[in-house]
Amino acid sequence: MLSTLIWAPVLGATVIAFLPQFSNSERARQAALAIAIFTLGWTVFLITQFDISNAGLQLQETLPWVEPLGLTYRLGVDGLSLPLVVMNSFLVVIAIYSSDPKINRPRLYYALFLLLGSAVAGAFLAQNLLLFFLFYELELIPLYLLIAIWGGARRGYAATKFLIYTATSGILILAAFFGLTLLTGVSTFDYAALQSQALPLGTQIILLVTLLVGFGIKIPLVPLHTWLPDAHVEASTPTSVLLAGMLLKLGTYGLLRFGLGLFPEAWRVLAPWLAAIAVVNVLYGSFVAIAQTDMKKIVAYSSVGHMGFVILASAAATPLSILAAVGQMVSHGLISALLFLLVGVVYSKTGTRDVTVLRGLLNPERGLPLIGSLMIAGVMASGGIPGMVGFVAEFVVYRSSFSVFPVQTLLCVLGTGLTAVYFLNLVNRAFFGRLPENLANLPRVYWRDRLPSVVMTVLIIFLGLQPSWLYRWSEGTSAALGRLTPSPAISHMAPLPLIETVAVNPPEIELVSTPAFENFQHSALSLE
Amino acid sequence: MVSLTQQPSTHPLADMIHCLESGGALLPDSPDNVLEVVGVLKSYGVVLDAYSRNLIYIAEQQFLVLFPAFKYFDGEVSLKKLLRHWWHDRINYEYAEYCMKGMLWHGGGGLDDYLDSAEFSRRTEAAIQAKVGGTPMQLLHKLFSNFLPEQVRQLAYYSGLGQFWRVMSDMFIDLSDLYDQGEVQTIADVVAHIRDALVEAAALPITYAVTIKGQTYEIIPKSVGLTFLADTALPYVEAVFFRSFPFFGTVSYNAQAHQISEKPGDFSYGALFADPLPIGSAGIPPTLLMQDMRHYLPGYLHDFYMQGLRGEDDLRVKICISFQKSMFCVTTATVLGLMPHPLDTTDPVQRQENRTHLENWMDRLLTSRLADVQSE
Amino acid sequence: MSQFLIQTSWWVPGYGLIGALLTLPWSAGLVHRTGPRPAAYFNLLMTALALIHSGALLQAVWNQPPQRLLIPWLKILDLDLSFTLEISVISVGAAIVITALSFLAQFFALGYLEKDWALGRFYALMGFFEAAMSGIVLSDSLFLSYALLEMLTLSTYLLVGFWYAQPLVVTAARDAFLTKRVGDLLLLMGVLVVFTLAGSLNFSDLETWAQTANLAPLTATLLGLALIAGPTGKCAQFPLNLWLDEAMEGPNPASILRNSVVVACGAFVLIKLQPILAISPIALTALMILGTMTAIGASLVAIAQIDIKRALSHTTSAYLGLVFLAVGMQQTDLALLFLFTHAIGKALLFMSIGSVILTTNTQDLTEMGGLAGRMPATTSSFVVGTFASIGLLPLGSLWSMLEWGDSFWSSPWLVGVLLLVNGLTAFNLTRVFGLAFWGEPQIKTRRTPEVPWTMAVPMVSLVIIALLVPVMLLQWHLLPALENINLLLVLLLISSGIVGCGLGGFIYLNSGWAKPVNLVGKPIRDTLAYDFWIEKAYRLSVVLGVVQGSRLTAWLDRYVVDGMVNLVGVVSLFTGESLKYTISGQSRNYLLTVFVGVILTFIALVWSFHFPYSIAQSLFGH
Repeated sequence: MLSTLIWAPVLGATVIAFLPQFSNSERARQAALAIAIFTLGWTVFLITQFDISNAGLQLQETLPWVEPLGLTYRLGVDGLSLPLVVMNSFLVVIAIYSSDPKINRPRLYYALFLLLGSAVAGAFLAQNLLLFFLFYELELIPLYLLIAIWGGARRGYAATKFLIYTATSGILILAAFFGLTLLTGVSTFDYAALQSQALPLGTQIILLVTLLVGFGIKIPLVPLHTWLPDAHVEASTPTSVLLAGMLLKLGTYGLLRFGLGLFPEAWRVLAPWLAAIAVVNVLYGSFVAIAQTDMKKIVAYSSVGHMGFVILASAAATPLSILAAVGQMVSHGLISALLFLLVGVVYSKTGTRDVTVLRGLLNPERGLPLIGSLMIAGVMASGGIPGMVGFVAEFVVYRSSFSVFPVQTLLCVLGTGLTAVYFLNLVNRAFFGRLPENLANLPRVYWRDRLPSVVMTVLIIFLGLQPSWLYRWSEGTSAALGRLTPSPAISHMAPLPLIETVAVNPPEIELVSTPAFENFQHSALSLE
Repeated sequence: MVSLTQQPSTHPLADMIHCLESGGALLPDSPDNVLEVVGVLKSYGVVLDAYSRNLIYIAEQQFLVLFPAFKYFDGEVSLKKLLRHWWHDRINYEYAEYCMKGMLWHGGGGLDDYLDSAEFSRRTEAAIQAKVGGTPMQLLHKLFSNFLPEQVRQLAYYSGLGQFWRVMSDMFIDLSDLYDQGEVQTIADVVAHIRDALVEAAALPITYAVTIKGQTYEIIPKSVGLTFLADTALPYVEAVFFRSFPFFGTVSYNAQAHQISEKPGDFSYGALFADPLPIGSAGIPPTLLMQDMRHYLPGYLHDFYMQGLRGEDDLRVKICISFQKSMFCVTTATVLGLMPHPLDTTDPVQRQENRTHLENWMDRLLTSRLADVQSE
Repeated sequence: MSQFLIQTSWWVPGYGLIGALLTLPWSAGLVHRTGPRPAAYFNLLMTALALIHSGALLQAVWNQPPQRLLIPWLKILDLDLSFTLEISVISVGAAIVITALSFLAQFFALGYLEKDWALGRFYALMGFFEAAMSGIVLSDSLFLSYALLEMLTLSTYLLVGFWYAQPLVVTAARDAFLTKRVGDLLLLMGVLVVFTLAGSLNFSDLETWAQTANLAPLTATLLGLALIAGPTGKCAQFPLNLWLDEAMEGPNPASILRNSVVVACGAFVLIKLQPILAISPIALTALMILGTMTAIGASLVAIAQIDIKRALSHTTSAYLGLVFLAVGMQQTDLALLFLFTHAIGKALLFMSIGSVILTTNTQDLTEMGGLAGRMPATTSSFVVGTFASIGLLPLGSLWSMLEWGDSFWSSPWLVGVLLLVNGLTAFNLTRVFGLAFWGEPQIKTRRTPEVPWTMAVPMVSLVIIALLVPVMLLQWHLLPALENINLLLVLLLISSGIVGCGLGGFIYLNSGWAKPVNLVGKPIRDTLAYDFWIEKAYRLSVVLGVVQGSRLTAWLDRYVVDGMVNLVGVVSLFTGESLKYTISGQSRNYLLTVFVGVILTFIALVWSFHFPYSIAQSLFGH
């Protein structure tokens, strides 16, 4: 079942790569799209098989592989990985659809995209540490090549930087995994087996810090983030979509799955530091974004900032905050993918991403009015305006983290305000005002260019209005993960002298029920 | 034809002046330009025909109607027409009223003077009494004694502009017919056609009368002596080609920002000045005209537009660019029609007077889009 | 029937949203051949439905205790974000005011924007606006109210930015959004704190909680201040007042709503929050200081404006300052009454000046004059709007001011503030009337026919409503009994109105007095005309700080962080030499290189695994 998500794209990639008829880029695109849509369809089928009341791993598959190494082919999905797997399948479709139809070397390009999707799915599904590491490393190759071959002017620099950083990340993670098995003396890398092992706190902390740095590069945590803007700027639009949408999530997913999951006591010790780093990420990313003039850099740095919210919620590590982290991962994945798609259209039509050059693109006849409107929707979603998924995701993050890290949470709220500053700047500069003469003859925008962004926007609004669809899948798993760490007592961290909170006994209110709403909610969630 | 006896002009637009003196136009001659100008004037002619009929209908049949909900229906109200009206599948007569308001507000010419005269007040009062006498409106008329006369002034402009556009519409349709017959081939032919038609219509009388309860009230009798060229055409050129109003969509009305001149005479927001790019945006009234014209483009012009980068997507901007070109042809015709002396005169004094005449016009066009239509 | 109406009360905000959605074919530019007016008609229809529905709802809840309607939204783990709506006479009444004014403003826009091809987008935003506002008044949940306030922020941004190609609009929209957002975020912080402390976000729960809450003074104060910040931004109170001035760049029909009901929505939330604010005396004091400063300051600033829209918009801030005072003194019913009478008067004034602007093509008061004789609907709207806004004739505001003064009778300085604001506003409105409507026509007001019926009808309707307000108040038993009227206060109020109007009339209705009038020296005049230089102060403090801070951070990021962490040397070595192949397209070499790398890693892995593993095995003897 789960293997299909990994092997169908691999099979497809092989076919596309080696059959000569796919050197026609349109045909290669259609074939890749068909495979990606099949994978997405399969993912939807898996959703229907998923039991949300079960907090543990589901749909598991196990095959022995390299027994002496402790490497088994063990796959499984739970509430933590399911939303990410779904989003991965979805974003691969979007990315392939929005690829340049006349791309050079289409066979290699589409094969790499499918491989990338497959490796990312594999990493999310792997329940063996070595297997995870394999997928985690495998995903680098297609991504590196996608940047290095189809990237912008400085693609060599950016791709190499990306490779070096993320390879370092992989080595650190591997080191931590080895350390763990070595020190616990278990002869397997299976997650479940390792989870039940106990280590002295000091050892745990060392291993966790190693993991933190390893995954921190991927997330990225400040100051390990500088590969990200370069990679984004040079990467083509579909690559950026996957990079921002999925690849960064590997870092936070890894932290939750392996950091929190394997070292809960150490997590509790390091959590305040992690929360502090989250604040730095949010504020630092936002401040740097304000000073940028390249639209892609603005969006890239906003990713640095917004991944900070995931870190914050992860640090709090309560059941609700884990759920919040998952929600924020999906929310950020969708929103940043949308923003990159839109920036991509702007770039492909105008030839620039410089907000000091762009102006007046909302012009209805000669500009990019619909793209501009979607951009406004996208930046508002990113800025946490209600009605879109960004708001509810951020609110749940704040709400869940506040009780553990009040000051850090309030500082992160400031980051939301700064998001408004840089994104408003972007929209006002590039889209408002009079269209200048040098942009008066832009090529036509087709529905093909708009469709991916429209779909993303609809999804973002839908999840904003019906957030149950976002959170339902992960409740059980988050609760289980969140219970691993006894929640740090509030009085230790609380800066506000919160004396004796009086519990509220809500007054008895005559509530009128709204059958229409309840019915909708029920029907909406009766998929399972 | 620049004579050796006359010094070249030192005006910043000297090239244009010399071009006009040697029989040229404000728009360079090229087959594309002729195609665009004639094509767009054809659709403009169709639209003006509708505008003109409606303006005259409102002036005559909707005289002081308090709730003229059906003023755009030209008297034929049917369910089908009503539904189409509500669906906004119609000519945007609002634009005609916008031009009318431009003329009313900016004034100028004999019509404007007449509206402040005692004769106008006398004739208007009679018509008002006939219309509202014995209704509650009379009380309002007593309280706000200038309310209804001001409405009649506006209606006089409805009528005046309607009569002006009647002539212009026919002129443009004729031009298109001649083009179709192959008799118009250059910009000079276009200009000559318009100039001749303007000169021919110059002395047409402008009058306005309404029928109330079976009796006809002359608001502007023929005896006032208002004529087509001096009292509608020139004020129209001034108000619509040159001045117009600042667009909400591009100019701030904030008094502290001082973006709008305190003198309406300094306004330069008219058809010869406006930027075609924002057409279609919010707060750009000429969009309405371009929208109306898109329905009546001749096939050859539509095909020509389809060759552009964006096809149908930026149709209205392209129409506006062509329209602006055609308006420079109309301006050329007006300038030439108003020349104090024949263009080919050899009398140095007359030549100098012609030169001064041209320089005065060019002063007004300094900041216009003249340069842009040269290059395109 | 009444149960059905209450169960469906959540439709009331829904109509506006449906209207907004229905405009999509036009606002998204999908319809090319026909015009956008159907979008306008759909929205008018939807607003009419909302009005009818809320009217019927009012009938149903009349003389009934408030009912609450629970709308489940998100329930995950221990977090329950359900919305509660409160269906009471007050909330439904407020919804009626909002939908009615929205209907009139939309009708007005049919004429005001008849030449605007972006009508579809405008009506979409109006529908959205109306939905957010009627949601706020019905909401009994701080969470919902907060979310809707944010949506108001967004729609304000988009409405102010309606004419997006106009340069001042661009900055105005940005400033409106950011200013309101500052308030919203502080409010969000407050919401988080309250949520954590009280465990619920329903206003009724919060009220119960607040009565017994035992908070440290500092917590209570900070919480109170954070909660005040949101309404301060929404109600354009000092120091978050500037956006309203700038927002006047937007289309006038939106300004009608913005100055009457949008600002009132901010105050409405403030009123709902009042029980929590009451925990902290400092927060209440801060509220009153802000209110007083804005009430007096904005009244003075309004007098120095030459722009007709701004001359009125600052009085909005001033009146909302009085509402802040009322909430600060815990007189919430009074605040509601005041909001109501102010909304009617201000909407009327803004409709009137909308038609002035459209007819004269200017907003500069110094270029106007002599409109009175020719524009009956516009003139009477302005006159009635003026009297409905000041305490002089027995229209709405006299009664609300009377109640206001009566409640504060024990603190003379507050009554003094009221009288001062009333007098200054009377003076200002007379000034505007004198400059725009009285005197001789100037060149721009020479030909000014009355506006078409699409604008005149909503104006006249609102005139009638404004004249009927005292009757409504009587019906609702909101007028004081005759024997309870504080005669001295009535006298004081009317005299302050007379002094203001009289002085204004003496100066501005007097053709002998040369215009422009210079009452005070240029420095003072400029200080007032430019809003006490607040904008400049912001530019030199907050804006400068953020800009410089971001530049510094970006510099650090580029040269220090990137330089140190990424081992520039190694990277450039790679890029410079071996990676040049990429450009020549030999990517297979890379593929190979990387694969080789991975395989090597794997072998190293196997070896390193086996080696320590065997050691461990031998050590532990498995």
